[in-house]
Amino acid sequence: MTTLIEAPPSDADGLLPTKKKSSGGGLGQYILIRFLLIFPTIFILVTLVFFLMRITGDPITAALGGRLPPEQLADRIHAAGYDRPIFVQYFEYLGQLITGNFGTTLSDNRQVSEMLTTYGSATLELSINALLVALLVGIPLGMIAAHRRDKAPDAVLRIFAILCYATPVFFAGMLLKLTFSVWLGWLPVAGRAKTSTELALTALQAPTGVYWLDALRSGNMAALGDVTAHAVLPALALGLLTAGIFLRLVRTNVIGTLGKDYVEAGRSRGVSEFRLVTKHAYKPALIPIITVMGLQIAVMLGGAVLTETTFEWKGLGFQLATYLTARDFVAVQGIVVLLAVIVAVTNFIVDIVAALIDPRVRY
Amino acid sequence: MAMNKKALQSAIALAGVSAFALTACTGPSGGGTSSGSAAGGGTITYGTTDKVVTLDPAGSYDAGSFMVMNQIYPFLMNSKPGTADSSPDIAESASFTSPTEYTVKLKSGLKFANGHALTSSDVKFSIDRVVKINDDNGPASLLGNLASVEVKDDSTVVFKLKEGNDQVFPGVLAANAGPIVDEEVFPADKLMSDDEIVKGKPFAGQYTIESYKKNELISLKANPDYKGMLGKPANDSATIKYYADSNNLKLDVQQGNIDVAGRSLTATDAADLEKDSKVKVHKGPGGELRYIVFNFDTMPFGAKTPEADPAKALAVRQAMASVVDRDAIASQVYKGTYLPAYSVVPDGFVGAIKPLKDMYGDGNGKPSLDKAKKAFSDAGVTAPVTLKLQYNPDHYGKSSGDEYAMIKEQLEKSGLFKVDLQSTEWVTYNKDRTKDVYPVYQLGWFPDYSDADNYLTPFFIPGNFLKNHYENASVTDLIKKQLTTVDKSAREKVLGDAQTAVAKDLSTLPLLQGAQLMVAGKDVQGVDKTLDASFKTRLGVISK
Repeated sequence: MTTLIEAPPSDADGLLPTKKKSSGGGLGQYILIRFLLIFPTIFILVTLVFFLMRITGDPITAALGGRLPPEQLADRIHAAGYDRPIFVQYFEYLGQLITGNFGTTLSDNRQVSEMLTTYGSATLELSINALLVALLVGIPLGMIAAHRRDKAPDAVLRIFAILCYATPVFFAGMLLKLTFSVWLGWLPVAGRAKTSTELALTALQAPTGVYWLDALRSGNMAALGDVTAHAVLPALALGLLTAGIFLRLVRTNVIGTLGKDYVEAGRSRGVSEFRLVTKHAYKPALIPIITVMGLQIAVMLGGAVLTETTFEWKGLGFQLATYLTARDFVAVQGIVVLLAVIVAVTNFIVDIVAALIDPRVRY
Repeated sequence: MAMNKKALQSAIALAGVSAFALTACTGPSGGGTSSGSAAGGGTITYGTTDKVVTLDPAGSYDAGSFMVMNQIYPFLMNSKPGTADSSPDIAESASFTSPTEYTVKLKSGLKFANGHALTSSDVKFSIDRVVKINDDNGPASLLGNLASVEVKDDSTVVFKLKEGNDQVFPGVLAANAGPIVDEEVFPADKLMSDDEIVKGKPFAGQYTIESYKKNELISLKANPDYKGMLGKPANDSATIKYYADSNNLKLDVQQGNIDVAGRSLTATDAADLEKDSKVKVHKGPGGELRYIVFNFDTMPFGAKTPEADPAKALAVRQAMASVVDRDAIASQVYKGTYLPAYSVVPDGFVGAIKPLKDMYGDGNGKPSLDKAKKAFSDAGVTAPVTLKLQYNPDHYGKSSGDEYAMIKEQLEKSGLFKVDLQSTEWVTYNKDRTKDVYPVYQLGWFPDYSDADNYLTPFFIPGNFLKNHYENASVTDLIKKQLTTVDKSAREKVLGDAQTAVAKDLSTLPLLQGAQLMVAGKDVQGVDKTLDASFKTRLGVISK
C-alpha cells in the first residue's frame, strides 16, 4: 500500500525512459536550446506581421485609398516614407524594434511602447484571471467526469465542456453580463474597477498596472475586493473557453491513467476510486495540460480582444479593436508584435515546466 | 481515507463560501454604500462617451475636450449657471471702451495652481497663441474679428477688433478660444501634450487635474485659488469617466457606479431610463445641430474632380435636400428626442428661420422626388450619382449608424444616388475631415455660445472651421453685418437673410436639432443648473 502510494507513477509502470536513454545534454542544454529558439520564432513572427500588414499596400493607402485625391495621397505616403523599397522599410523597422522603438500611433500620436506598457498590464491581469478560471474549473470537473465516467455527471460535464469551447467568447461574455450584471445586479457591468479604486491604485508609487497586485501591495483590501468583483465576469467569459478544453483533456488522461497497472493494483487492494483519481491519477494527467496551456495562451489572447471589448476592460485587446477601427496601422502592428512575443515566451516557459515535470519531453 | 475526503470536501466548501462572500461584499454599489463615487461624500462622478482630442486649447474645438477645459482653465467671460448671458468671470470688468476696443480688467491676486501669477500678459499669450498656432482642429476661426491684443498693465488688457461693435465677442471669450493658460508652461508656437500640461499644472479654473488617464479617467479637485464668478464648486472633487459603449454608460448610472451620465446616451437609452425609478432623466434646451457637410472640392462634380461643374454639384446638393426625410429619421431613429432642422440655425434661437422647408422637398418639410429629379434634369446630371458618404460612429452617439443607414436608404430609394457609406473613428475622422479626405460627411455642432452667429461665422466665412472650400462674398457680408448690427430687430432681419443665402448654396445640409440630456441618480442635485442655453457642462454645480 505504502509503496503503491508513494512511488512515482512513471516508475511504477516502468514505461518511462531513464536518464541514460537521453540523447541530449540534460536539462540545461534543453533550456538553452529552447531559449535560443525564441529569437528566430519572434523574428519570423515579426517578419510575417510586417509583410502581411503590407499585403494590401501601405497603411495610408489602406486607410485613405480612394478617399484622397491621388496627389495628396502620394504626398502623405512620401512624407511617411512608405514609398521607399519595402526591404528598406523592413530593415529600418527591425532596427527600431531592436532599440525598443515601436513608433508613434497614427491616430492619437502616442508612443506605441508607452501604450503597450500601459495597457499590457491590464491584459496580463485578465489572462492570469482567465487561466485561473480555466484551471479551477477544468481540472476538478475533468477529474469528476473521469471518476464518474459514462454516468450522468460525466455526460453533463462533457456537454458543459463542449458548450464552453464552442460558445463564442463575446456571446458568453454578453450572456454573463446580462445575467449577473443587468438582471441580478450581483456584479459590475464593465471596467476594471470603480473610479475610486482606480484613482487609489493609479496614485500608488510605481504601480504595476495589474490591479490586484497593486491592491495587495498597498494592503488595500477594499480595492482588492472591488477589483476581484470586476474581474469575475471577464475572467469567466475568457476562462471558460479554455476550461472546456482542459476538462476534456483531464478526463481523457485520468481515464487513461486509471487503466494503468499500478492503479489496477491499488484498486485490487481496496483503495477507493475517489482516492485513486485524486491522489494517483491526476499527476500524470496534468502533464499534457501544461503543454496545451502554452498553446491556449494564443487562443486566450485572441479571446481577450473580444472579452475586453465586451467588458470595456481597457487592455491591449480593447486598444487593438479601437486602433483597428481607427485604421491605425502602426499601433496595430505594435500590439500584434507584442502579443507574438508573449506567446513565444510563454511557450518557452511552458516547455521548461513540462521538461521539469516529465523528463521524456527532453528527447 | 474518510478523513481526507471529508477534509477535501470541507476545503472546497470553505473556498466556495469565501469566494461567494468576497464577491457578494464587493459587488456593485447599488445600495449606495460602496467605496466608489458614492462613498466619496464630496465627490461626484460624471460618465461620458465623448473623447478628449487634446487639453491644449489651441488644438481642439470639440465638445469632449472643451468639457474638460471648462473645469480647469479660467475664462475672462463666462455665463452664470442657468443663463447664457456672458458676464465677467476672472475679469473684474469687461466692456467696449470704443467700437473696436474691448477692455478687460482682471481681478487681483489671480494665480495658477503651479503658483505662477495670472496676469494680462498670460491673457495676451493665450489668445495670440490660438491665432498663431492656427491648428486645423483648433478654434482660431472664432477669433476672426480680432486684430490684436494689447497689454496696458498687469491687470488690464485691450482686445482690438477689426469690425466695431462685435456683439458676440464677449461670448467668444467665454468659448473654445477663451481659456487662459500659463505662458510659463505652454510653448507659444506649438501644441503641448496632455501629460506635459498635467505636469505643468497651468490650471486656474474651478478645478485642478489631480490624475489623468487620457480618455479613461480624469480626477479633478476643487481649486481653492479660483476667484471667478462661478465660485466654489458644490463638490470637493469630481471624476470624469470615459466609456466606449453607451450601453455600459447607461448600465453604470443605473447601478449607481457613476452619479451622472452625460453625452451621449442613445434615444432608446433615454426612453428606457425614463422608466427607471432609481435615476432621473434631465433635459435642457438643445442647441445641437446634426448636418451633412459638402466638400466643394471633392464632392461629386466638385472643383477638383475631373468632372468639375459647379451647377451640377449644386444640383446634387439640392436633390439631397429634397430627398431626405427628416421626420422619419427623427421619429424612427431618435424616438422624438431630435426634431427636423430646416435651417443652419436651430429653431428657437433669436433670428432663426426655416428657409429649407420652403426651398426643398414638398414645401412643407416632407421629401419630394419630383423636385429632386428636376434639380438633376435642370443641371444635366445623369442619375445615379455615386456618393462617398462618411459618418462617425463614436462621437455623435451610436445612433449615427442607424441615422446614416436611413439616409443611405432614402437617397438610394430615390434612384438618383448610389451611396458608398463609410465610417471612421473620431480621432482620425476629426483630423481627416479637414484634409479633404471626405467628399460628403456627417458633422454635429454643439454651440460655444448661445447666439445664432455661432451657427454662421464658424461655418460659412472664408477659411472656416469646416475647411470645405465654400466661399460666397454676399454670405460673408451678411454674416459680418449681423455681427455688428446693434439694433436687435435689424440684426434679426440680417440673420434671416444670411440663413436664406446659405440655404441656397447648401454648403451644409441641416438635418436634425436635439436636446441636452443627462441622467443622474435620484440623490444627485444641480444637474438642471448646467443644462442651460450656454451649453456648458459645469461639474461645479452638481452635488449629492
